[in-house]
Amino acid sequence: MEKVISLSPVARPAKAEPWKTSSQSRIWQVIFASVAPALLTLGITLAFQIEPPVALLVVFLPIQIISAGALGLKEFGKRGFADAALIVAAVFFATLVLVLLLSVLWSVISFGSKALSLSFISQNNVYISATTSLEYGGIGHALLGTLLIVSLTTVATIPLGLGIAVFLTETRSKARNAIRVLIQAMSGLPSVVAGLFIYSALIVSGVTGYSGLAGSLALLPLMLPTVARIAEEALRLVPAELRNGALALGAPAYRAFFQVTLPAAKSGIITALILGIARIVGETAPLILTASTTNGTTLNMFGAMPSLPYYIYEFLGNGFDTSTQRAWGAALVILILVGILFTIARVLTRKKKPKAKKRKK
Amino acid sequence: MPVKDLSPSLERRKLVTKPFSKADKVFYGITKAASGMAVAIVGLILVFLFASSWPALQAQGIDFITGSTWDSSQDPGVFQLGPMIWGSFLIAFNGVFLAVPMAISIAYLIVFMLSSRMAKIATVLIDLLASTPSIVIGLWGFIVFAPIAAHWAELLNRFLGFLPFFKVETENFLGSPFIAGWITAVMIVPIIASVTREIFSQMDRDLINAGLALGGGRASTFFRIILPTSGGGIVGGTLLGFGRALGETVAILFVLNIVFDYNWFNVTKPEGGSVASMILSKFGEAGPAEIEALLASGLVLFVITLLVNWLAAFIVDKAQPWRK
Repeated sequence: MEKVISLSPVARPAKAEPWKTSSQSRIWQVIFASVAPALLTLGITLAFQIEPPVALLVVFLPIQIISAGALGLKEFGKRGFADAALIVAAVFFATLVLVLLLSVLWSVISFGSKALSLSFISQNNVYISATTSLEYGGIGHALLGTLLIVSLTTVATIPLGLGIAVFLTETRSKARNAIRVLIQAMSGLPSVVAGLFIYSALIVSGVTGYSGLAGSLALLPLMLPTVARIAEEALRLVPAELRNGALALGAPAYRAFFQVTLPAAKSGIITALILGIARIVGETAPLILTASTTNGTTLNMFGAMPSLPYYIYEFLGNGFDTSTQRAWGAALVILILVGILFTIARVLTRKKKPKAKKRKK
Repeated sequence: MPVKDLSPSLERRKLVTKPFSKADKVFYGITKAASGMAVAIVGLILVFLFASSWPALQAQGIDFITGSTWDSSQDPGVFQLGPMIWGSFLIAFNGVFLAVPMAISIAYLIVFMLSSRMAKIATVLIDLLASTPSIVIGLWGFIVFAPIAAHWAELLNRFLGFLPFFKVETENFLGSPFIAGWITAVMIVPIIASVTREIFSQMDRDLINAGLALGGGRASTFFRIILPTSGGGIVGGTLLGFGRALGETVAILFVLNIVFDYNWFNVTKPEGGSVASMILSKFGEAGPAEIEALLASGLVLFVITLLVNWLAAFIVDKAQPWRK
């Protein structure tokens, strides 16, 4: 993370009291710029019976901009008004995203936790219809299927993604820029196209039927760019001195890579894999087109294989209350999986701070 | 006395580094092969989709892209993709229109306004949104968000209904490109925001400090220094988001009413199209001829997104000269 640069004007206020963290006038500023508009909006909304979303946009935002602008005008003159408007707009839009994100998380957690139970995670879908009570049946088969498909994809992606990352960082080939752009472009590959590709290559031509194997192959082009790009970043962060030191000591390039560069970039590369897994764990369209689903638990990668996203898709399409609840439950499980992967990645990339020595009393 | 030319007569030796040991050649060979595989995958996708959809493309001709009928009950079936292609673009435009201000605000907040601890939290939240699977967003969009957004569409229609964009005759507001646009906006905000943040945080500090020293404030710094210097990167990031929005499948499938009729710009009208979602929705019940047409649709989608993404990647790459 870069250091924050302050963009506030350098002009020193007339009554500066640097030793005070919050002065009296500052509190009044906050009240004037945000609390007062909020109260005013509330009053107008109640008085004229305006609907909250309209009030927020048509009443609150203008009042907020005007009051913050007036404050800026008083403190810094004309340019203070534009500054205040910019701040208000930036905070408004960022808050909007925050609200949307929290809404997603909150609804998945609150709806999903109603369906979640031990039997829901462990049982499979045999003899379960859309209206069966939630006490019976669950996502065990789909969870197992997702884990199998994703781990097969991961095993296939590791050498490819790492190879590309090494090609981009360790070689001086002229094709590097082209490959980098290609990988970047590949990261926008629509998931349905990846599914259609494997469908036309393996299933239409009769190499295999709907199978877990085909599903994991369809996920490969979606995972590869993520892994390659983040692994490239990780390798790039390894100081050149380390690499050159190994080479200067006479190590061949491959040993310099495996014994010096790779260990130094280890956590970054594991992060790349984990984020790649998080990217594909919820992919739905390719699996609908290539892996299909079953009701029973299966370990056979050459036959149809259930998966969590397909389970959500299937039960959401039914439209009954219990089936929708099952979909929420499965969504919560996917989100928990992604959350776990994400936390591991965060912990790995966190910079290790040197431990402060404990002072003896 | 003439000055003697003291420069060495030998030309400067060109340094070349080439792997000389066999093991190194194998090592570099493997990395080259992996990169070749990436090229091969893209090539194979084109080849296989083209080969297996050739009969459909041949039968439909150019009308496949421009016509607006999709009927598998006729013999031979008529498959024309036009409204879906335009629908995908309409939704993506919508999504980008909503997402760009949000993404730039977030990037601006993270890089230039928040304390480093708050910025770290905001980054984590944005990354979390980025890794939320599209099926989960689709589920949320279908059950929680679509009714709310339909209400927004109704308000737009009531107050701004005189504009052709928001004119709706029916009482139904669910299933419009407006709602699908919001859903895609939620999905592409993190993409645009992360590219923009990257560009912002790598900006030349001296430029900003010079602007401040000349008496500039927050707004003038933003509009006259930050935006002009990082404009290319923002455009590239936006295009990346645009490409992602074009290919969005399941999330849109749940919230869009897919109709094979051109809906040029009326975003709140509950009719729209999306190539990717259409493929998925038709796939289950399709016969052999229709499957070929769906594969051809996939090919069209792939070519469009590849062009958009390639352009985006090119612009982003050019906007980050320090990565060389």
